[in-house]
Amino acid sequence: MITAERKPLAEIIDSIDGCRRIVLAGCNECVTVCAAGGRKEVAMLASALQMDFMKRGKTLEIHEMTLERQCDPEYVEQLAPFIDQVDAVVSMACGCGVQEVVRRFKSKRVYPAVNTKFMGASERPGVWAERCHGCGNCLLGLTGGICPIARCSKRLMNGPCGGSSKGHCEISNDVDCVWQLIWDRMKELGIEARYEDVIMAKDWSTERGGGPRKIVREDLQ
Amino acid sequence: MSFQKRLASGEFMVLAEMNTPKGVDISQLITNARRIKGRVDAVVVPDMDNGVMRMSALAGGVLMQQQGIEAVIHIYCRDRNRLALQGDILAAHVLGIQNLVVANSEEMANGDHRDAKPVNDLDELGLLQAVASLQKGVDLAGFELEGAPSFTTGSTIASFANDAAMAAALALAKKKVDAGARFIITPPVFDVERFSHFLSEAKVLGVPIIATIFLIKSVGIARYIALNEPGAGLSEGLIQRIRKASDRENECLKIAGETIAALKGKVAGVKIETHGWEHRLASILDYAQL
Repeated sequence: MITAERKPLAEIIDSIDGCRRIVLAGCNECVTVCAAGGRKEVAMLASALQMDFMKRGKTLEIHEMTLERQCDPEYVEQLAPFIDQVDAVVSMACGCGVQEVVRRFKSKRVYPAVNTKFMGASERPGVWAERCHGCGNCLLGLTGGICPIARCSKRLMNGPCGGSSKGHCEISNDVDCVWQLIWDRMKELGIEARYEDVIMAKDWSTERGGGPRKIVREDLQ
Repeated sequence: MSFQKRLASGEFMVLAEMNTPKGVDISQLITNARRIKGRVDAVVVPDMDNGVMRMSALAGGVLMQQQGIEAVIHIYCRDRNRLALQGDILAAHVLGIQNLVVANSEEMANGDHRDAKPVNDLDELGLLQAVASLQKGVDLAGFELEGAPSFTTGSTIASFANDAAMAAALALAKKKVDAGARFIITPPVFDVERFSHFLSEAKVLGVPIIATIFLIKSVGIARYIALNEPGAGLSEGLIQRIRKASDRENECLKIAGETIAALKGKVAGVKIETHGWEHRLASILDYAQL
């Protein structure tokens, strides 16, 4: 999933301070799963904003909506009946969702209420960790299914650095050394010999070397 | 007179661009530089900002200084993060480089190492701010330096095809000036009359303007520019002039020289780009009567 964390309340208030009416739009997908911008978080942020405005003798009318997917034009269209009645949209979706609202409603101000973080997985309740960098040229098949690009601090491609200690990365004991994980996994699978394979300088043109990326499927157009 | 003093004096400056080799054979570079020594005020050494891997501009600049020719070197953001950039800037000062151009860089996809990872940690404004900060004796992390470098730093303005694009380009160039650029280098000038309109608008920048003279080397190149660079203002008349000339190469040199002569008095100086024909720079200067 795409993970996110809510922005500090003060920053959100600062962006909409001149507004009297807003749509506060959550998303039912990734940001719901990582508890940053789903229905529940929309309700909590709406209450916090209204309390702040009230304390300062101001009023803020908030229309709460949580779209099925804010990165999908089909669902973004659901904002259309309300858009002319508000000064701005505050989006609790990831950056993809924010920009899809911007693309659809060109004359409306749209502000993000979350910081989009990374593509990750839920390790345990309340903990999400980065898993994929989106490099566009997956090498998980070569590394025992564990990604050194997303999970090694130095993005080393051929084994650990000297900072690997007792399975941890030198930057923090909270960070696994990914090359320890890869080695353990290879041993588990009985494919340690693969560790000797050299991964040559990576082709980053599939990441951002080729500029902003796009997938075009002619069969679906 | 140093580049810095000439810039301040308002006397017409002639800069010649010289690229470093893709390899370690510097003989051609040195020979070409010696040919124009004393006839140009400084040599501008681009780095890999056009996307082609070659010897770094820092080395090229030092080689020029060793030949007794003042160097202006490019620095840019695509390939180095803020640590590497600041480190190279300090190194440049220590090695005798006094002038920098904060340059734009070509997309990686248009270079010769298309699989490389672009850095772009800073942008041009960030890099100008880094230079300014280092000159004050503080790095971008706020730590004090043991000895601060000093440079005359300039930057570039993007090409534009119409007045709206020109206004946008000037707005960005003004930001660069505010961030520390003390001169601005323009895109290639092929039409001096058209360029005069820009010059009157560019007064708002308040710094010397250096015009780029791009040596057209063939009818094919002229047609390519006219077709692909709508902002260049390269006219069909100019293409026909080269096409009909009995000695086309010489005509190209003459056009470059005439453009320089026409710009004298209008701009602070020119930067001549010959793109592999550095050995013909002297002829261009002859035609420019410099």
